[in-house]
Amino acid sequence: MAFGKFLIRRLLQGVFVIWGVVTITFALRALSPGDPVNLIAGQVPDQSTRDQIRQDLGLDQPMYVQYFDYLGNLLTGNLGYSYNQRRAVNDIIAQHFAATVELAVAATIVAVVIAIPLGVVSATRRDQPADYAATFGSLVGISTPNFWLGIMLILIVAMQVGVFPTSGRGIAFHEAMYNLFRYGYVLDLLSWLSYITLPAITLGTYFTALITRLTRSGMIDELGKPYVTATEAKGLPRTLVRYKHVLRNTLIPIITVLGLQLGTLMGGAVITEEVFNWPGLGQMFITSLRNGDWPVVQGIVLFIAVAFVVINILVDALYARLNPQVTDE
Amino acid sequence: MISDRIKSNLTNELRRSLLAKVGIVLFVSILLMGLFAPVLATHNPHEQGHSDEAGASYPPLGLTDEITIAQDGERVSHTVEGTSEHVLGTNNVGQDIYSRFLYGARTSLLVGLSGTLLATAIGVPVGLTAGYFGGRVDDGLMRIADIMLAFPSLVLALALMGAFGRGTVGIPDPIVAAGFADGMPETITFPGMVTVVVALVTWVWFARVARGEAMAIRNEEYVKAARSLGASHATILRKHVLPNSLTPIIVLATIQVAAIILLESSLSYLGFSGTTLSWGYEIQRGHDVMRNQWWVATVPGIGIVLSVIGVNLLGDWLRDALDPNIEGEGAGGAG
Amino acid sequence: MKGVINQSIDRRTLLKLTGAAGATSGLGALAGCLGDPDDDDGDGGDLDLDTLTITQGEFPDVEDPNDHITGPYFNVYDHVYEPLFDVTPGEEPQGRIVEDWEHGDDGTVELTIRSDVVFHQGQELTAEDIAFTLERQIDPDVPPASDQVAGLGSIEGAEALDDTTLELSYSGAAQLAEFEFGNYLRAVSQEWYENDAPTTDDGVISGEDAEAFNGTGPFQVTEYNPGQNRIVMEPFDDYWGEAPNVGELIFEGETSDSGRVSSLLADETNFVDNVQPSEVGNVENDDDVRIEEVTSFRNIFLPMKNEVEPFDSLEFRQAMNYAVDNEEIISDILNGFGAPMSQPTPPEVNGYNPDLDPYEHDLEQAEELVEEAGYTEDDPADITLTVPEGRYLNDAEVGERAADQIDQLPNVDCDFESVPFDVVSEANSAGVDHEDIPFFLIGWGVITGDADYGMFGFFHDDGGVQSFRDEELQTALEESQVEDDPEEREAMLQEVNEMAQEKAPWVFLHQQQSIYGLDADIEWDAREDESVFVWEMS
Repeated sequence: MAFGKFLIRRLLQGVFVIWGVVTITFALRALSPGDPVNLIAGQVPDQSTRDQIRQDLGLDQPMYVQYFDYLGNLLTGNLGYSYNQRRAVNDIIAQHFAATVELAVAATIVAVVIAIPLGVVSATRRDQPADYAATFGSLVGISTPNFWLGIMLILIVAMQVGVFPTSGRGIAFHEAMYNLFRYGYVLDLLSWLSYITLPAITLGTYFTALITRLTRSGMIDELGKPYVTATEAKGLPRTLVRYKHVLRNTLIPIITVLGLQLGTLMGGAVITEEVFNWPGLGQMFITSLRNGDWPVVQGIVLFIAVAFVVINILVDALYARLNPQVTDE
Repeated sequence: MISDRIKSNLTNELRRSLLAKVGIVLFVSILLMGLFAPVLATHNPHEQGHSDEAGASYPPLGLTDEITIAQDGERVSHTVEGTSEHVLGTNNVGQDIYSRFLYGARTSLLVGLSGTLLATAIGVPVGLTAGYFGGRVDDGLMRIADIMLAFPSLVLALALMGAFGRGTVGIPDPIVAAGFADGMPETITFPGMVTVVVALVTWVWFARVARGEAMAIRNEEYVKAARSLGASHATILRKHVLPNSLTPIIVLATIQVAAIILLESSLSYLGFSGTTLSWGYEIQRGHDVMRNQWWVATVPGIGIVLSVIGVNLLGDWLRDALDPNIEGEGAGGAG
Repeated sequence: MKGVINQSIDRRTLLKLTGAAGATSGLGALAGCLGDPDDDDGDGGDLDLDTLTITQGEFPDVEDPNDHITGPYFNVYDHVYEPLFDVTPGEEPQGRIVEDWEHGDDGTVELTIRSDVVFHQGQELTAEDIAFTLERQIDPDVPPASDQVAGLGSIEGAEALDDTTLELSYSGAAQLAEFEFGNYLRAVSQEWYENDAPTTDDGVISGEDAEAFNGTGPFQVTEYNPGQNRIVMEPFDDYWGEAPNVGELIFEGETSDSGRVSSLLADETNFVDNVQPSEVGNVENDDDVRIEEVTSFRNIFLPMKNEVEPFDSLEFRQAMNYAVDNEEIISDILNGFGAPMSQPTPPEVNGYNPDLDPYEHDLEQAEELVEEAGYTEDDPADITLTVPEGRYLNDAEVGERAADQIDQLPNVDCDFESVPFDVVSEANSAGVDHEDIPFFLIGWGVITGDADYGMFGFFHDDGGVQSFRDEELQTALEESQVEDDPEEREAMLQEVNEMAQEKAPWVFLHQQQSIYGLDADIEWDAREDESVFVWEMS
């Protein structure tokens, strides 16, 4: 019962947050200096054509009317229309989000696969060389701007080794998988892998470092708790206690932190995509922002915000399920 | 406000931790470089080497570079050697990389420190008010904070820059004005809009921490006592709540300096900065020529990494010494 | 995104050109200017490749061939949707789909089109389709609201007389009309558009797969996904002519300059555009690839809006030209890949004045002139040069160097600011009294090969991007537009150029070099208009 109420409250908050995001981005467009008519009509001097375009876009309406029109369109699922690309923003997002999700998931996998063992080793061999190495590594990882890391990877790995392309996406993951299962092409999957490796490392490094740090300190806290000594005293094997119970208890708060860090992941994706010419939402965001194509900018920000809210509600729900007292707070 | 206990904690931790010492050394060195850039620089950072037959670009001292030039339809190749004139070489317009490195430190620290200050000035009052009063005020302010959190900080910062433009403020350089560094730029280009923008995207972290502290403190006996003695809310906030929340705020501020340095470099890498004397901007430049002149992008990147490591180590030191329990907070490295 | 500005200015200028009563075309005067048309630019060649990949810095983000107006987009489209004519700057248009054309005396032209042209999806091309296409482009009531309307400014309408005969009506000069319909008409099938084509609500062809393309060109699209910056084509079996012998033609987009060169060197692509000058050596050191370059019709210059101080002073503007050392910019920033500008018109273009030399670099002269303009060391002129980033070859670096050179003057303080291109573009069209950004860097291709095209827009009150207002110059431009005799007109334009050099409306920098990297075994000559056609490769 409490859980249902909790969920409803979180959903309502989520709707409010999304409304806020929509309103702020709308305000930014309203404040931005460029005139969309110039974008669409270029330098067409003919005033009547320009007025016509202005009218078609509803830009001749007072700002509040434009705002409510925009909200109304959003409620019907219509994100608007790109000034530059002559295409619905919905379509643009649909075309690009798979690339971004692919990159974000790959980066998360890289991070989790490296970081958790590293954090565990670091915590269980405290103040030994392995711990120092992991601590130092994660310090550097957390302090390196990912665009620079990407450039260095291109410079050192891609240009010297030659296995990894310096940029681009090559083939989409689902296409590669389709070709693998339908025709038995392994090469496509390898090609996909070669394209995504460096961007995934670039985007994943910060999170690898962050999760390593969180795992380490979480583990150290947990290992100091009475139940660990108690279960060990009961004769359960040490490794089992460590890896099963301690790690599980450590990971729950980490998941919450990662939910909140999803924004950082998306921000990182923006710049990683720019460095590697990865055709995802981030690159589209930057291009559109440079061109003053605000409907696309607004649409992408909104899309990211919705993803953020939904994932965080899921994380909270999961957390609440695991820790019932949260709902009573 | 800074009790003896805190002082002794700090010194003990510093004595114990090698990393804390490293952090202080790194941070202070970068700070000095930034402060005294006009004195330490060997060239005006804007000054462009003018052409000799091989163009204007030099590799760092000890390296050589092959440059191909079109001359009357023919190709002429030159081998250029690094000179002691430009220890770290020059970028693709012939500016001295070492000198630009120093000035880049200045921009990073200026934005990092003043952006953090501004974010604190916005976030702390909001957070304290919300936490202290609780109820509707708290709900309202925290919903706004929720909205801010739903924006990735880099994405919001970019959108803000896109809407507001890239205004800068020119401040006279006191060192040059005092006559200690002839030939250096007379004004410091302070990327004001970037500073405002990074503060706008990071204040919410301060608000959250301040709120948590205020909530804990408002139920303390001495606060209740002060209230019953007729002290106004403003006085209580200023005299009791704020001083007692300082420790976590200072720790968070330290971490945020690092986050903001990364954010600033990302913005200038993407061309949204407003000043060319920025490490991020220089990396963007180097990106275009990296196959031949790899040092152009490499050197400023090392600057960013070292200063962020320095600041992060300072933060770790403060956190370990003061134990404010704010694990996991912070905007993180957007860069 | 190179190209957009030029294109939009081009059509703007054309519009005005066509609006000017009795304007005789600049184009007519051009024939022969560049020598005889190539004989071998017909179809086929002896290209023989399984796969040809072309990687451009800019990739189309729309599927409708009748909508946008960006140069690099047409490099892709023209292989699918062919133009009615082959147009090369400075040459007479050559019939392509059109077999024959004849002008009437009443502003009409009768086009006879080939009867054996079919669309990729099976429809036959009729005169009706071309009339329909034209309507899409120029009729505001027929979607889309096309940018190309401006490139067809003098064309008034079209009517199909029968399946293979089309009558076009136009205002203005016949030669100009020819240039317009020759360049901009890329036929779509009316039947397809009305029944099968994927379109948006407002009538733009827009789809997410190969079905969104249906032209009559030598290549048909087989794979397309707008999110991927990649389009795959193969030769069209029923093409009326001979399609180039390429198994698969792939166009790809890659915005990073060094990324394109990397792809070329790693053999992931066969052809890249806009190679950085500093990368030329890397390409040439590799035996498998080579560089192909040509000095383009694209000028790079710094307009100075002369209704804003201090640019209202002739002496000041001239001083800027003396202060900037364009030779040094070319050698230092562009590694020698560029040619200094002496006047608004590039060489090889009709109206270019061969007797003019570029302003010499002379700081003393510049300082004196600035002084005459009323600025001293104690009270220096304070100006800012605004430069776009990533639009033209090393644009930010070129601008920074120019600003630095001007800043050497003791009586001028010149700052430098780099901004996204759209900021500069807005400033460019914001009028001659625009105070915010009166001094900036911009590029412009005089792709028609006529000087008028390079000056009218910037120097005339009716020009879309006016940055300079001067009675004498305006009058001279107007007079040259109504001159019927080509030789006389050329002389007049040469005089206009001399006048423009003297009045110094811009700081003249350089003509940009188009540098391509391609496989060593592909034979191909770069074109001044920056077009890339596979059928010209062998």
